[in-house]
Amino acid sequence: MSIKFFRIVQLAYWRMGSITDDEVIRKRLLIDGDGAGDDRRINVLMKSFTKWCHSNFSPEEGLSQYQRMLTSLAQCEFSMGKTLLVYDMNLKEMENYEEIYADIEKSITSAHDKIAECKKEIQRAKRIRKNRQEYDALARVIKQHPDRHETLKQLEALDKELQQLSHIKENVEDKLELRKKQFHVLLTTIQELQQTLENDEKMESEDTQESLMENGD
Amino acid sequence: MGPVELLHMSVFSQSFSPCGRFLAAGNNYGEIAVFSLSAALSPDASEASQKPILNFTAHDGPVFSLLSTDTHLLSAGNGEISAWSWAELIKKSTKAAWSRKPSYETSLEIPEINAMIINPKDNSLIVGGGDNNIHIMDMETGTFKSVLKGHTDYIHCLCFKEREGEILSGGEDGAVRIWDSRTNRPVHCIEVFKYEECARPQFGKWISCLATDSDWMLCGGGPSLSLWHLRSMSPTSVFPLPGCQREAVFYQDLIMSVGEGPHVSHCLHGGTVKAQIPCTPSSLNTLALNLKNTEHRVMTVGGSSHQIDVFTNFSYRAFSLSF
Repeated sequence: MSIKFFRIVQLAYWRMGSITDDEVIRKRLLIDGDGAGDDRRINVLMKSFTKWCHSNFSPEEGLSQYQRMLTSLAQCEFSMGKTLLVYDMNLKEMENYEEIYADIEKSITSAHDKIAECKKEIQRAKRIRKNRQEYDALARVIKQHPDRHETLKQLEALDKELQQLSHIKENVEDKLELRKKQFHVLLTTIQELQQTLENDEKMESEDTQESLMENGD
Repeated sequence: MGPVELLHMSVFSQSFSPCGRFLAAGNNYGEIAVFSLSAALSPDASEASQKPILNFTAHDGPVFSLLSTDTHLLSAGNGEISAWSWAELIKKSTKAAWSRKPSYETSLEIPEINAMIINPKDNSLIVGGGDNNIHIMDMETGTFKSVLKGHTDYIHCLCFKEREGEILSGGEDGAVRIWDSRTNRPVHCIEVFKYEECARPQFGKWISCLATDSDWMLCGGGPSLSLWHLRSMSPTSVFPLPGCQREAVFYQDLIMSVGEGPHVSHCLHGGTVKAQIPCTPSSLNTLALNLKNTEHRVMTVGGSSHQIDVFTNFSYRAFSLSF
């Protein structure tokens, strides 16, 4: 039955000029594998129903045939109900998948946004790291030089020393001047005294010479 | 190109195109190869996309320096500066737009040009090379307007400080000289080898790499790679890298440097070496970062090999382009 159908479909496809044989067989068997059983059951039911109506069965045989037909009818109804439920289930699954698809789309876009944010963060962090490194490098160089307070203090101490020493120098110079002047005064008085002594001696010797000359006359 | 030539090839210079989708590299045979980064970085890249789209001989001697302006690629080798239009190069035409030589004092020997930079303020090209002088050429008229003399030995590298308009030059004589670009006078001279913490007398006193980042300067070569604070003219950190560094750049909060040794070193400003990423060439000469284009943001390094390593994530080597 299914092979016949397959041939019909194959002819149709050959007319259309598409798809290979294997694909057709595979697809048909997959879809209709179970359906062939149902189809056959309905046909068998129809045939047995017409046979049952038209032929003369004994009452037991007729009853058993009737029972058989009822069971096969029930089976057909059951399989129909099953396929309807499967169809509903498929619809609901599709809806579910659509929802999940939309959710995933949303989370993809939000992930993209987060990635962009993180990239910006990384750039900022890199800049900050670079700045810190530069700061550290400069700080290292600066540390090598002596502390400003120390040098200022040293400068102050030196200044004070300088002042003291110049003060002392002034004092010493003043003293020197004073001594020079005193010695000068001393020397001049000595010289004057010498002069007066010489003058006195001269005057004395002149006096004695005069008195000798008077006595001689 | 035979296998022996490939073995002896060294890549000396690199430059990215203004759009950021192409890389030009110059080697010691005088050839320039243009690679397509968009092809090499695309998801369906193959072996062929790691080969150059154009490979031509640009100079007689090695191409020591490559520089990209907004429209042209400038290349310099043995004393001559040639310009190639990027649009033409992408269309695979190898005709030079122009070719000039700075005026040299002696006409006997033509000294090589080691470094070229652009001064964006007055659109001039600054060139330094083997004749110990820095020549400044006006890009619009093509005339060489001034010469900065001061170095006593050839110049390895040049760098430009945008904010103050100062040119820094480092040379074989171990001095880093700072010149004012407007008055063309020397402003400072730092002799790196005289500072004990940086000096490595076993390697020499030459300075082969310079980089600046506003107030900070990196310099290295014979002396160790060191970070200097330019306002106080003092070295703040010295990096404990074993070989001589040939090129260094500032990138975000890191310092990346290449030199002797088959690795790219990532260092922090504080003086620590954070990582050393291995690469194929046994020693590296040039490092370039493609920051103009956000899609193809890569780092490429080249050195003593015919292969140029490409890093998409700066922490590991992604693949290699080869000549």
